[in-house]
Amino acid sequence: MSSRCPEIGICLLIALSLTACEREDRRFSEAAAAAKAPDTITQSDLQPGGPTPRATLASPYDDNAYAVSQGKQLFEWFNCSGCHAQGGGAIGPALMDEKWIYGAAPENIFASIVEGRPNGMPSFRGRIPTQQVWQLVGYVRSLSGQVRKDVASSRSDHLFMKKSEQSLPQAPPAPSSPPPQGQ
Amino acid sequence: MRACGAGSLGIAASAAATLLAVSSLALAQEHAQWPAPAGDFANTRFSALTDINATNVASLKLNFAFSTGMLRGHEAAPIVTTDTMYIVTPYPNVLLALALDAPGAPLRWKYESLPNASSQGVACCDTVNRGAAYADGRVFFNTLDGQSIAVDARSGKEIWRTHLADINHGESITMAPLVVNGKVLVGNSGGEFGVRGWLTALDAATGKLIWRAYSTGPDSEVLIGPDFKPFYAQDRGQDLGVHSWPPDAWQRGGGTVWGWISYDPELNLIFYGTANPGPWNPDQRPGDNKWTAGIFARNPDTGAAKWFYQMSPHDLYDYDGVNENVLLDLDVGGRQRKVLAHADRNGYLYVIDRATGEVISANAFVHVNTIDKVDLATGRPHYVAEKKPVVGQVVRDICPHAGGGKDWQPSAYSPITRYLYIPHQNLCQDEEAVPANYIAGTPYVGANIKMHAGPGGNRGVFSAWDVAVGRSVWEIKENFPVWSGALATAGGLAFYGTMEGWFKAVDARTGRLLWQFKAGSGIIGQPIAYRGPDGKEYVAVLAGVGGWAGGVVSGDFDTRDASAGNGWGNAMADLPKFTQKGGTLYVFSLP
Amino acid sequence: MGAKAIVLVGAGLAVLASGCTSNHAALNPAGPRARHIADLMLLFVGVSTIVYLVVIAFLIWAMWRRRARAHLQGAQATRAAENKARRVIGAALALTVVVLITLALADFFVQRFLAAHPADALRVLVTGHQYWWEVEYDDPDPSQRLHTANEFHIPVGRPVELVLTSQDVIHSMWLPNLTGKKDLIPGHTNTEVLLADKPGEYSGQCAEFCGLQHAQMRLIVRAEPAAQFETWRQQQLAPARAPQSDAERRGQEVFVRSTCILCHTIQGTDASATVAPDLTHLASRGMLAAGTLPNTQGNLSSWILAPHRFKPGVQMPATALPPDELAALAAYLASLR
Repeated sequence: MSSRCPEIGICLLIALSLTACEREDRRFSEAAAAAKAPDTITQSDLQPGGPTPRATLASPYDDNAYAVSQGKQLFEWFNCSGCHAQGGGAIGPALMDEKWIYGAAPENIFASIVEGRPNGMPSFRGRIPTQQVWQLVGYVRSLSGQVRKDVASSRSDHLFMKKSEQSLPQAPPAPSSPPPQGQ
Repeated sequence: MRACGAGSLGIAASAAATLLAVSSLALAQEHAQWPAPAGDFANTRFSALTDINATNVASLKLNFAFSTGMLRGHEAAPIVTTDTMYIVTPYPNVLLALALDAPGAPLRWKYESLPNASSQGVACCDTVNRGAAYADGRVFFNTLDGQSIAVDARSGKEIWRTHLADINHGESITMAPLVVNGKVLVGNSGGEFGVRGWLTALDAATGKLIWRAYSTGPDSEVLIGPDFKPFYAQDRGQDLGVHSWPPDAWQRGGGTVWGWISYDPELNLIFYGTANPGPWNPDQRPGDNKWTAGIFARNPDTGAAKWFYQMSPHDLYDYDGVNENVLLDLDVGGRQRKVLAHADRNGYLYVIDRATGEVISANAFVHVNTIDKVDLATGRPHYVAEKKPVVGQVVRDICPHAGGGKDWQPSAYSPITRYLYIPHQNLCQDEEAVPANYIAGTPYVGANIKMHAGPGGNRGVFSAWDVAVGRSVWEIKENFPVWSGALATAGGLAFYGTMEGWFKAVDARTGRLLWQFKAGSGIIGQPIAYRGPDGKEYVAVLAGVGGWAGGVVSGDFDTRDASAGNGWGNAMADLPKFTQKGGTLYVFSLP
Repeated sequence: MGAKAIVLVGAGLAVLASGCTSNHAALNPAGPRARHIADLMLLFVGVSTIVYLVVIAFLIWAMWRRRARAHLQGAQATRAAENKARRVIGAALALTVVVLITLALADFFVQRFLAAHPADALRVLVTGHQYWWEVEYDDPDPSQRLHTANEFHIPVGRPVELVLTSQDVIHSMWLPNLTGKKDLIPGHTNTEVLLADKPGEYSGQCAEFCGLQHAQMRLIVRAEPAAQFETWRQQQLAPARAPQSDAERRGQEVFVRSTCILCHTIQGTDASATVAPDLTHLASRGMLAAGTLPNTQGNLSSWILAPHRFKPGVQMPATALPPDELAALAAYLASLR
């Protein structure tokens, strides 16, 4: 074994501990990233001359277990679960599959919550503060395995209805969205 | 053929003479037409036509089919006047008029009501509509976003529209209106959204509001006055619609009126049920929660309440009281009494004196473990303590489930067999009550539900109930809940549909299957029978799976989540293998 | 060294003395239950102190005596010493047993007293939340069920049965002047009885670590004469005061059109959410945020704007409102007496 092994080990340990910090960080009074609503949202993959390459805004809490678990609590408190059940859908569509009617990108989910959608999704503009919207986005993404496994919830406080977000399989978003159902 | 039909019609009519509805047929004109979803004021869903009968039904053939172009649950009944059939579709509530006097029944006209698309977000149990009503050259129907509309039956032109419900407070309308004495009776939906239930009467000529009776709140708004004479002591007192609730809770207490209304012209009373109290979590609303989960009798002209009976005081399980009240005359202890038969969500079939509100009998028609008896002296059900939902605890195997022993799907009564034909489910559930947070316009439920099949493993039943004796005569077990309405005919037949898409005719006396047809999608609509302009008898039904039970298909649930669709995800996970979406009208006749 | 000891003893005495007047002290009982607990504690402390001193005295004596008598030898002397030791040990054992049984009996009778639940008690449902207390008064007439948070009143001389549960994690209620601790457990109910025989304001505290703001989860109980209590009850049962001034009207508008409506209740408005404290009569309470800040209009504004400054980790989110809207909102909330 070469003499560099311990250094690599130490680097790995430091890297690991850093990710752990990020995962556990509780940012109560978040400023910049979460407070800025995204303005890059498109809902169509079809653009004259071909789609403009766009940087998808990273969801600020994709690697923050605390924020995702707060999102899970808000998902119940704000009655998201009343329409989307625990991800399987009811009045609103399922959120744990690969189908995204209005786009799967974090900014699209953000926009769905803030702006509402025409077929029944209420607009929560001015009702849910930006930081909490992002927490919800983090949780919604965890339902289809879009956040790291160690960030997603591993258990529920309530009656067992589905596998925990941590053990749900990844459902990568389908390239284009199916149309709204019903009509 | 024609003569033969008329002859047997005469026999049937005399057999049916004991039935109030037939003796006072202001509505159905010898049942040749079908001007309202229930066929008549008494809600019997009985057709006196006999062309199609037990001996020839095996040769019943599809006459024509017509796509509605909609994919959501089709719970409506087609309605028929002399030469036109009217169909109201689920959201976006298009009214189609089919010309029955032309070959293939082409569209005579089409009226688009264009409801607010956001109303889909406050429709608890699929975006259904239960049908239109015809009276005096007009067709009346309601839209999901809370409008009541009158359309000229000939031209398809709008006569009036009245906006009654507010989606921002969770209100919607799914029920079929009933037209009585020149008034259109309309009630709201939204018991899962913390709305305050009401029934409203509109002037059929102008659409102006004549009266509105709330199901909760002070007597003045419930239209309880000096005429109110409830049979049981617990329903007497000042402002019980306020005092049987925690402060202010009656404002969002449910008791919506989304089911069926019956009318007795002799007593000049309408009868209708009020839905569940909100939220489902009972700990958030201590008290009897009047006037939810019960039956009101009212004067249709003033709205004044005559009596009230509460099937489920302080309802624990979403046992709405909205199921149909079938009006019939019954021999009780040697005395003819005007009664109503009501198969309730709570699993008991009530026979109630409709003049006084006295419960004559109450017998379980499904497996019930939540209520062990109904005390006929006080009228109160006795709840089983260990099945009461508790916040933070899981109570297993509650029967019947939140959808009840039977949900909205209306039964039919044949005055010939004297049986009530009940389409229903056989489902139980595990439940954990959780705190419900009221946010106007969003669901207000407070229960985690996981449904499963009841004893026997079959999820649905179609049964014949002998009202006089108070017991089941025969039962047909179905794999899925029987979510369609029933139809009884003087031809000795009972019709119903299954969620797999089978439309079945069975022998009214024995329940023997005589004929079946596989439709393109599951059937949750209400079958009807009518005499066409050509003099032949037709049977019609809308297919198109959906509704609360069929949301797994119509709402594309992901059934890895057992709570999808309020618990149906678990119970109906295999439905997509048997049927897919798509609304189509099927009309059958003898060749 | 001597000076230090004097300071320490002085400090200790001061703490004890404050315990005798404080509204958050087990040594200042305001009711028979707390008094029994305090007496039991004093009994235990007293007996333990005496036992401790006696044991220490014997220990010192034994060490000294051993050195002094080390020269004694011989079988006879040994036997005599053994007999004596046996008698001493026997006596000490008997004394210990008597003391322990006495203490056990005292404990038993106090527990029995505490476990007895009076039938005529006023029932109050207390639900623990991170980090506040939800309070609801039971009543045979459901429309008389009063809802409030973090601060509640009880009539002097009438037993109050608390029905305790939690909606998130395990909390514990501790009102030392009135009774002992009792846990609030999700999915389970505990009961505890309060009985105040002296009017006054008593302070409570969550006594089971429940999260970041466990320390800022305080509770205030005001015991007052029956007539005064009834006045308070009726006042709390009334719907919220309607806004009077333009600012208050504007404030109400802001309340129902902003983040507030998703979590709070103000009876008589559309706001009926229950995940956060009921604010129908917010201005009648002395403190904000479960005893974190005195209830003033200025504190209200600061709290709404940045609750995490005062209580990091609280569930209430920061709400960025323009200054005029914030002022109107605070004015409206401050008017809800």
